[in-house]
Amino acid sequence: MRTRVLGSIVYGLTVAALIAWSSPAAAQQAAAYRGPRTPDGKPNLTGMWQALTEANWDLEPHAARPGPSQFGALFSEPGGVGVVDGNAIPYKPDAMAKKKENFAKRWTEDPEAKCYMPGIPRATYMPFPFQIIQSSSSVLMAYEFASASRVIKLNDKSKSPVPSWMGWAVGRWDGDTLVVDVTDFTDQTWFDRAGNYHSDALHVTERYTPKSADLIMYEATIDDPQVFTRPWTIRVPLHRRLESNVQFVEFKCVPFSEELIYGHLRKKAGD
Amino acid sequence: MHRRLLGFAVVLVAVVSLMTAEASGQAASAATSKANAPSAARWRTPWGDPDLQGSWSNATTTPLQRPARYGDRKFLTPEEVKEIDRQTDIGTDQRPANAVRDVADAYNRFWWDRGYSDGRTSLIVDPENGRIPAMTAEGQKRLAALRAFEGQTTEFGTDGGGKADSWEDRSLYERCIIRAPLPRVSTGYDNNYQIVQSPGYVAILQEQMHETRIVPLDARPHLDGSVRQWLGDSRGHWEGSTLVVETTNFTDQASFEGSSQNMRLVERWTRVADDRIDYQFTVEDPSTWTRPWTAAVAWHPVGPLFEYACHEGNYGLYGILEGGRQKDKEAAEATRKESSK
Repeated sequence: MRTRVLGSIVYGLTVAALIAWSSPAAAQQAAAYRGPRTPDGKPNLTGMWQALTEANWDLEPHAARPGPSQFGALFSEPGGVGVVDGNAIPYKPDAMAKKKENFAKRWTEDPEAKCYMPGIPRATYMPFPFQIIQSSSSVLMAYEFASASRVIKLNDKSKSPVPSWMGWAVGRWDGDTLVVDVTDFTDQTWFDRAGNYHSDALHVTERYTPKSADLIMYEATIDDPQVFTRPWTIRVPLHRRLESNVQFVEFKCVPFSEELIYGHLRKKAGD
Repeated sequence: MHRRLLGFAVVLVAVVSLMTAEASGQAASAATSKANAPSAARWRTPWGDPDLQGSWSNATTTPLQRPARYGDRKFLTPEEVKEIDRQTDIGTDQRPANAVRDVADAYNRFWWDRGYSDGRTSLIVDPENGRIPAMTAEGQKRLAALRAFEGQTTEFGTDGGGKADSWEDRSLYERCIIRAPLPRVSTGYDNNYQIVQSPGYVAILQEQMHETRIVPLDARPHLDGSVRQWLGDSRGHWEGSTLVVETTNFTDQASFEGSSQNMRLVERWTRVADDRIDYQFTVEDPSTWTRPWTAAVAWHPVGPLFEYACHEGNYGLYGILEGGRQKDKEAAEATRKESSK
């Protein structure tokens, strides 16, 4: 044991010496990023953020695919390298069958097509910006898509009385990482346009880690023993929208979805 | 839900104490009360902005416009307030005797959350008569079209004139697009808002329809005039301890009491107590009203907000449209029978 301790001290001194000898820039790089702070000393995440990714088409690696043929190349799907650790989502066998069924019906059954609140983590990587307003006791996230909003309660012990689309979110700071536990979901949302889905046993652990003034690394670990054989993790960088005039713009999509949802109930001509 | 009821009880106590103050002639109206500077300094965020954060309700049974029977009178007597609140309690506690009516109400009355009288005869404080000012010819036309679209007004809302050829015949509320246009006044239930602040921003989350008004405080110009939004485009600044928010860029697909898309809305929030924000709004729309007008209402703390999913599984709208198609079928059947006679 003594040798082990001595070894550690020697190792520590060596590392310290190496850092001291290296250039200031290199030393800075070796240390964790420490960005702008809020008055209570936390990393300041307030701003408009957006993922630059193909994840909303399909979390898993996928080649480009055609969209609805009447639109030509419009709405065809870009290929992507995938955002899932280990690439494949670990479905249970019968759950995989359900995922394939979702995929086949995706153009009409995707909750996004119906303008339903997208749930978490999907809201984070849809092709729309979202606004973070960070206070000391809560962090509000307002998503343009479907006007979905949620308030993350910090260090809160309250329990959700009911399931919800955006989940019940309780957050805490782990060093410079905002960690959010999200529970009490409905089983109605999908993770992407490829039909990846979950049950109401879903538990999402989100981690928001600032990497520079304009970049947050977003990680979400998805645990749902009813659908998956083990928890799995996605990683998506979030970029600050830097346009000088950037602001939250409404995307109230209910009117865009009504023909799809209620079209069969419209009065027929001549009735 | 218990939590909500508890919050409701807290509001009730707060309102009752407010009324007591009003009765002794102290509090005057929410519109005229000014936060006194020393106490206003108590509600500050760590970065020095006035602190409006929390969950709030603007529920009250005090009507927007002063009923004619009150003439020029701005305040109710304590006896009148007591009687109005007693009627509210009766209304929320009992179920209609008529079973058809009971089913049609969808909720029994227990679930309403209308608030109570705040001791005044109207929310409108300017003009003095507590009434919306005279409308222009254009405004009258717009309001008439709006009322015709809404159909009959019942105590449960409007019935859309019974027309259900398509969803577009139904109200924005039934379609779950917005609960009501801005500015928002108290309705039957869920009059709940949550304010969250950070340096440079105020966010106002409206429980219905789960949308957030993001208010930048940096004096940037409004969105281009071609961009029209259901909740408009808001810009804010502090005047002393008051948050002043100016909203423009409204859409012509929603109308507040006949307003046009050119309405300019100015709202003010002032924290005056741990359990009270004085809120007031002024609407300016020369194409609709002959002069600007102002209303005021107190916001009181309420229990936590919950997600108000409305469009997600809007069975009510399915039912309305299915009912419409069933009526079409019956009418076609009747015509066929008539012609085969």
